[in-house]
Amino acid sequence: MTDLAYLGIAEAADLIRARKLSPVEYARALLDRIERLDPRYHAFIRLTPDLALEAARQAEGEIAAGNWRGPLHGIPFALKDIIDVAGLPTTAHSKVLIDNVAGKDAPVAARLKQAGGVLMGKLATHEFAIGGPSFDLPWPPAVNPWRESGFPGGSSSGSGVALAAGMVPAAIGTDTGGSVRNPASMCGITGMKPTYGLVSRRGVLPLSTSLDHVGPMTRSVRDNALLLQLIAGHDPEDPGSAEGEVPDYAADLDKGVRGLTIGLVRHFYTEDMQADPEQARAIEAAAEVLRGLGAEVREIHLAPLQDYATCTRIIIRCEAFAVHRRWLAERPGDYGELARQRILDGAAVSAADYIDALRLRARLTRRTLEAFRGIDAALTVSNMDPPCRIDDAAACARAYPRQARQPFNVTGQPAMAMPAGFTTDGLPLSLQLVGHPWQEAMIYRIGGAYEQTTRWIDRRPPGL
Amino acid sequence: MANDEERARDIAAAAGLSRLTDEHLAQLAKGVASIRELAAKLPKDLHWSEETAQVFRLPRPRK
Repeated sequence: MTDLAYLGIAEAADLIRARKLSPVEYARALLDRIERLDPRYHAFIRLTPDLALEAARQAEGEIAAGNWRGPLHGIPFALKDIIDVAGLPTTAHSKVLIDNVAGKDAPVAARLKQAGGVLMGKLATHEFAIGGPSFDLPWPPAVNPWRESGFPGGSSSGSGVALAAGMVPAAIGTDTGGSVRNPASMCGITGMKPTYGLVSRRGVLPLSTSLDHVGPMTRSVRDNALLLQLIAGHDPEDPGSAEGEVPDYAADLDKGVRGLTIGLVRHFYTEDMQADPEQARAIEAAAEVLRGLGAEVREIHLAPLQDYATCTRIIIRCEAFAVHRRWLAERPGDYGELARQRILDGAAVSAADYIDALRLRARLTRRTLEAFRGIDAALTVSNMDPPCRIDDAAACARAYPRQARQPFNVTGQPAMAMPAGFTTDGLPLSLQLVGHPWQEAMIYRIGGAYEQTTRWIDRRPPGL
Repeated sequence: MANDEERARDIAAAAGLSRLTDEHLAQLAKGVASIRELAAKLPKDLHWSEETAQVFRLPRPRK
């Protein structure tokens, strides 16, 4: 059972294709595990065992007949509950949308089903992907298995927890100001925010349309590349979707980093903010690992974190308020306190300030991309702090802005958070790799080399 | 603070948020203060020529 719980997509796919692992037995084993563990961790808002077993049986029959669809065929996955699946409610973890049954699949859900994936259910999120952790919602917040009452980050909190607890090998999250990478960092897993426009957002409840991204969350870098491969591609019905070829994201995974130049953005965690010393040391140690593997690591300078934060916060507040205005007018009491507070802020943003924030975004993007000239990718911090307790509201509020993820929502560049070690208390530490637009494969190449050398992914939460 | 509360009531009325309770309005008043601080951090030298990509654009017909 334990082996199945922490099996990766690539390993499971090999076993399933060789008919050494039954998709039905795999799904049953994980459903049993979820039923046993989820009362403690609350990763799932809705488990869909009947749908899962039906999809697993179909996969098993197709594979037995010689019709293997690819690496997700017969593999369990789960979706953050702001992503539409036909016939299931998309609640955004909110009373406001508790009866909001989706009419059709979001393209990202449809692509995973088409690939033969086995949908296990819908995952917890911070309410409307903005307010959390909250204890005044219809479902409790997800809890990080790495510590007693641990805060898992957010907003894709259930996605991070489900992976860390061995409930699924693949999950999808969304990232507007860091919401894939934050739970990835807190839960000791890997989360990619792809280039803006690479993955369709249609059928995904918007938070801030010009900053929203959909991204894959997995335990390993290789699995992340496999999952991105399945969801990337142009959607003519998503206005932000980009046209262009989708490369093979796993092609360079084993090429190593010798000869690459990696920019280290040190001022984010030593000057703009002071990271927890263990977290800062983990980034410096990662730079040494990459140097040891043959990369040149040299310091680069971007704009101060606070500039990106100002830009992001104004845009998110304003665009989120535009999404929520009607619901806030009709039923403001159905929101949790945190989400209502953060979204209501947007009513106070003037149109001129919003336009100025968009202009600032263009300026920051231009300057950031100029700073990336001459490097293959950048290394920096994701979270400034290891996970705190979820019931410590002051600590959660303090941790919320202490991050370096928003810059790459502003610029739209791909950015991945992955494990970078553990504190002396055994809590996950993380790093962030950032690439040129459309260069996810380079991030996977560097992340893959680092992962193979350090093997932080082999460690599991206590008791699991 | 009193001004922020008045401003919050004005904003709520203009936005059609007629069902906000006093507690919600107090939240909005905090938001007014926080957004004012945030907007003050925007650079003062931003110019209209730094246009964003989010302009209205008509698609060309596909061949």
